[in-house]
Amino acid sequence: MSFWQWMKYRPTPSSQPKKGNRPQQIIPDRYMEQHSEELLTGSLDEARHFIQTVLGDNDDLITREFVIFGQFKAVLIYFINMIDQEVTNNDILKPLMIAPPHYVAGTIELQQLKHVLLYETLYHSMSKMENKLAAIVDVILRGQPVIVVEGLDEAIIVGAAKIDKRAIDQPLTEQVIRGPREGFIEQLGTNITLLRYRLPTSDFTVRSKKVGRVTKSRVAICYLKGIANDALVQEVESRIAAIDIDGVLDVGYLEQFIEDNHLSPFPQIQNTERPDKAVANLLEGRVIILVDGSPFALIAPSVFTQFYQTTEDYSERFLMVSFIRLARLLALVFSLVTPSLYVAVISFNPELIPTKFAVAVAGGRAGVPFPSVVEVLLMEMSMEVLREATLRLPQQVGGALSIVGVLVIGQAAVAAGFVSPITVVVIALTTIGSFATPAYNAALALRLLRFPLVFFAGMFGLFGVMVGLILIVNHVLSLKSFGVPYMSPVVPGNYEGMKDTVIRGPLWWMRRRPAMFHTPNRERIDEGVVDTLKQTPHNTLDPLKVGNARWEQPDGISKASDNDSSGSNSH
Amino acid sequence: MEYPKQVTTIQAAAILISTVIGVGVLPLPLFAVRSANTGAPLVTLLAVLLSSSGLWIVTKLGMRFPHQAFTQYSEIILGKWPGRIGSAIVILFFAVLSSLAAREFGEVVITSVLKKTPLEVTVILMLLLATLAARNDMTTFTYINHLYLPIILGPAILIVALSLKNANADFLLPVWGNEPREILNGVLIIAALLQGSFIQTIVIPAMRKPQNAMKACFWGMFIVGFLYITIVIAAVGVFGPEETKQLLWPTLELAKTTTLPGNILERLDAAFLAIWVTAVFTTIFSSYYLTIHLASRLFGLRDHRMLSLFVVPFLFAMAMTPQSILQMYQVIEIVGKFGLLITIVYPLLLLLVASVRKKRGMQDGG
Amino acid sequence: MGGKVRLLILFKGIVLLLICWSLSGCWDRQEIEERAVILGIGIDQAEPDAEKKELPLAHKRGQLHIPSGKMIRLTVQVAVPGRIPLGPGMGGGESSSGGNKTVWVVSGVGHTIDDAINGLQQRIAPPLFFGHLRVIVVSENVAKNGLVNLNDFFRRNPEIRRMSWMFISKGKAMDIMKASPQLERVPTIYLMTTMDQSVKMGRFPNDILGLFWSATSAKGKEGYLPYCELDGQNNIKIRGLAYFRSDKLVGTTDGVDITLFMGIMGMNPSGGQAYVQVPGKSEYLEYSGRSRKALTKVDIQDGKPHVRVKIMIEGNIREKSDETVKLNHDVIQLMERQLEKDAVKMYQDFIQRTQEKGADIFGFGEHIRSRQWRYWDANVKTKEQWQKMYPDLKVDIQVQVQIRRVGMKAV
Repeated sequence: MSFWQWMKYRPTPSSQPKKGNRPQQIIPDRYMEQHSEELLTGSLDEARHFIQTVLGDNDDLITREFVIFGQFKAVLIYFINMIDQEVTNNDILKPLMIAPPHYVAGTIELQQLKHVLLYETLYHSMSKMENKLAAIVDVILRGQPVIVVEGLDEAIIVGAAKIDKRAIDQPLTEQVIRGPREGFIEQLGTNITLLRYRLPTSDFTVRSKKVGRVTKSRVAICYLKGIANDALVQEVESRIAAIDIDGVLDVGYLEQFIEDNHLSPFPQIQNTERPDKAVANLLEGRVIILVDGSPFALIAPSVFTQFYQTTEDYSERFLMVSFIRLARLLALVFSLVTPSLYVAVISFNPELIPTKFAVAVAGGRAGVPFPSVVEVLLMEMSMEVLREATLRLPQQVGGALSIVGVLVIGQAAVAAGFVSPITVVVIALTTIGSFATPAYNAALALRLLRFPLVFFAGMFGLFGVMVGLILIVNHVLSLKSFGVPYMSPVVPGNYEGMKDTVIRGPLWWMRRRPAMFHTPNRERIDEGVVDTLKQTPHNTLDPLKVGNARWEQPDGISKASDNDSSGSNSH
Repeated sequence: MEYPKQVTTIQAAAILISTVIGVGVLPLPLFAVRSANTGAPLVTLLAVLLSSSGLWIVTKLGMRFPHQAFTQYSEIILGKWPGRIGSAIVILFFAVLSSLAAREFGEVVITSVLKKTPLEVTVILMLLLATLAARNDMTTFTYINHLYLPIILGPAILIVALSLKNANADFLLPVWGNEPREILNGVLIIAALLQGSFIQTIVIPAMRKPQNAMKACFWGMFIVGFLYITIVIAAVGVFGPEETKQLLWPTLELAKTTTLPGNILERLDAAFLAIWVTAVFTTIFSSYYLTIHLASRLFGLRDHRMLSLFVVPFLFAMAMTPQSILQMYQVIEIVGKFGLLITIVYPLLLLLVASVRKKRGMQDGG
Repeated sequence: MGGKVRLLILFKGIVLLLICWSLSGCWDRQEIEERAVILGIGIDQAEPDAEKKELPLAHKRGQLHIPSGKMIRLTVQVAVPGRIPLGPGMGGGESSSGGNKTVWVVSGVGHTIDDAINGLQQRIAPPLFFGHLRVIVVSENVAKNGLVNLNDFFRRNPEIRRMSWMFISKGKAMDIMKASPQLERVPTIYLMTTMDQSVKMGRFPNDILGLFWSATSAKGKEGYLPYCELDGQNNIKIRGLAYFRSDKLVGTTDGVDITLFMGIMGMNPSGGQAYVQVPGKSEYLEYSGRSRKALTKVDIQDGKPHVRVKIMIEGNIREKSDETVKLNHDVIQLMERQLEKDAVKMYQDFIQRTQEKGADIFGFGEHIRSRQWRYWDANVKTKEQWQKMYPDLKVDIQVQVQIRRVGMKAV
């Protein structure tokens, strides 16, 4: 028995009703569990009593009594801030109080009532009957108004919950220049809508689960049937099913439970705020996990190459993108090794840098009180502090602070002989490099790892840096995300997958889905498409082809008599 | 299944290359030149051919028993106890080999870069690196060797290419050397540097298509041989046979003589040595993995992780045994030549006995 | 299972201990500003009474049996950090003003190089660092007695680069170390740049330390080094070649001989100039080579090696002394023949001079060793033997000169 279970079932004074003058203390959750099978009897008072016992301490619980068709006593129970008042007034209360025109008021039989209410009276699309008391409470808690009618053994639930949500906004963490501007929001329903809107296919499947004993967060596992591997979906489901925690406030909670290596600094599951990215990953055969209340989606499985790729890469021209990706990879490497290389060269192998520069560097460092290791560590730490400070501050102050931090302190530190100017350059390079990585958590991992590397560099110079790098790379190579080797498709090599690593091949060149996800359906682009691309295009507006015919068909769009300065000699 | 069958042909070749290319490349031109002055490239070629034939035997043997480990089929071929003794000697030899590689690299680092660091630290660092990595399974072993391959080949090729333009053809003629007396000795010493190719014995059973093992071996050995010979040609062509004899690690000296175009780095020796850590790591890692792997088979252990921890102190002790760098090279020569008996003659014996006794392992359907 | 876990914990503990141990020692960490970066070394013969002044460090006085007359004086140029500012253009002329010198010149005596360096280290606080040693100047006097220990020390020390330049100086090497040319903040860098540029312009063969060593140790070849001299107070000029026999300096040449040497070796680019007299006139033309090629062939005639060198030079006319002769194709051809005649004589004279000293700086011996290896294996075998045989070597020179262009002037 786990601690939580024990906490739940431990004998509490309240659970054993005592006869005494002290008011009875009831823990609602516990009480509900005890009465989980209790059904509505048809007695309004009993139902009201049950709900009062469980939720009665809440001042925002409203119990509105009214009479249906002037005939049946009923109550509407809801939390005041969670329902749509307008809908409740116009679509629930109003039709209920006035009997449908073809019935004569006061003549409706009790047996008929259920039918009349559900099929002829209530205007709301999401109405259903429920007879379990515990479930009714559950529904009230989720914000939907419940109507309990005297004499009916089922309550009517109307889906008129209205929980305030923010508008669909630009995703702040993943900005793109070219691409959709929509981002996920906190509401699971909206997020699924965003996905469905892009995937109007019957293959798109959403499986729902509830995780979190208290928060009862809804988790959606989305995948494309026939593209995602069934075994992968099952594995994801079973890993999520195994989670037992009191609350899931963000998708990051789930990530930590379902990843493969829990001790690694490297993220093995990617997250995104962008529906288009999620859809792109679904199309590759991955699984998307959404949690109610979190504007982030998890992408599983993930590999290392994803962390320097963005969605935009696929909309831009492939040559530019390949170049930009190279730059990002370089930035990634910069953010990891620059400070340690600097330390190694300055304090172990100064013979590596050109003589003139070496002499000048020695001059720049003369008078700096610390060895370069300490200097670099100090600067790196203060940079981290500065970064964290600007992150948490309100935006208006943040900008000012970063200017003060970077310019003033940096300049002053150099002028005071506290650090050498080259160190400032190196730290700046590193920091900028770490910000150029699209995936924040991957950049964070590398930022963290550069500290041990600096230590190693301070101990063994270049040799130490290399030993540190080998340790890191060995670790990365041993990582797996849902069985997919973390460095794939580079290692183990996969030709098809390599077209989308550092270089981003033209879309028509990547005809198959990556092999590492073992998708049942690998065909992405039909072979015919490639053949069409290879043919010379119809240059319909080519001035030279005016009036020409190709394959017995007119090729030019205009007549020979048209005056086009660019081709003919009409001037 | 005992092994996950997933090593591809390219990966098998990559394992071979990154295992064989290691710290032995540093003194290689010296060994070659000592035995046959200007005939050094020829000696290297002969040595590559000799060890290729050894590898051919090992591969033949492996393909005969595509699903069993070396220890298992040597027991099948020779009988239980003789086979076990043979395997024990092989295991011991590779333990010595990995400890000597760690020591040799430790000496290189101490001499050229970290002059004040204790030798023990560098040796133990290399051994620990190999130990930590050897705790992984065969898949990660393959991935590690695969990923490091370009890091190993790149700098070596770069240095050879940059220095070949300073080479002098006179230093390479006549191709068989002036009065070559010790060609045989040189061939043996250099062939001993290539003994890492024995790693194929554990790679073949894990290969997806064991019938392609010969192809992997050919390409692996071809690339290794090519690199060895070009390094020797570059070193002898740039320094001349007589100057090469004066240098303990001519390849490192070659890196010292080379400048990157554009003066990014003024001299490449420290950078080359740093990158060469990967090459040495893969070599030690492979022979260490071979030792652990075969030993765990021999003792019937299911998990080789524990064993890898046990072995480190012994390896360290062995590495620290030679008293000086010159004695170390003597030991390396003796152990290497003795090793040829183990890595070439012993498999040949196994192959002969196997074909005489008509022993054969299960074959793949495909 | 429990034992396994305990063992793992033990192992982790040991690793942790090891890490702590290695963390506590940064054995080799030596900041760049805490090193005495040596940029140049000058080696002179020590004054006769030097032994009395030295501080014996590695030996007791009188223990080393090296006569004090052969002791050396080592002068080093140490970069002074802080005097050389980071970044360009922060004051140009400050290197000359006395108080602001960018380098510090220190000198000491010793029996061997390392002995002298040890002596110097006693006087310089930060550890001496040779990683940026670019220039080694050896005075003529020292070189005449041999460079054995010098080469040994520099080969053995891992910090020394094979790309450094070694010079032989006429006069004291110390003076060159003290000289401070105006163009560069750091004097030795100026000297190094001079050599690098000379090589690029074709005014001096590429002869970095490594190549000198290779030549010295090769059996059929001798080394040569640039021969320099202090010109005035602060300038250094290249006088010619200093050539060796084994490790002993045996002769020096003039600047013209550099071009001749490069001609025989067929080195490119060719930067040398030559004056040639128009036959029958008093007018001179200056000819400058652009590219050359030399073919060396060795064959055995009557049991003796016979070297034939064919040198082909292409070049332009750069200058004419006055206007009495108009250039045309016939004149040019005449000049070509004249140049060829002059060149053969000069080349042969130069080879003659090296033969007198037994210093085969051209590597003819290597040609014989590599091409006529039967003869070599039978008759020569060793470097000493070749040094004896070289003076009698028959060398034929054939020159072919082409004048291609005459510049922007028509006549």
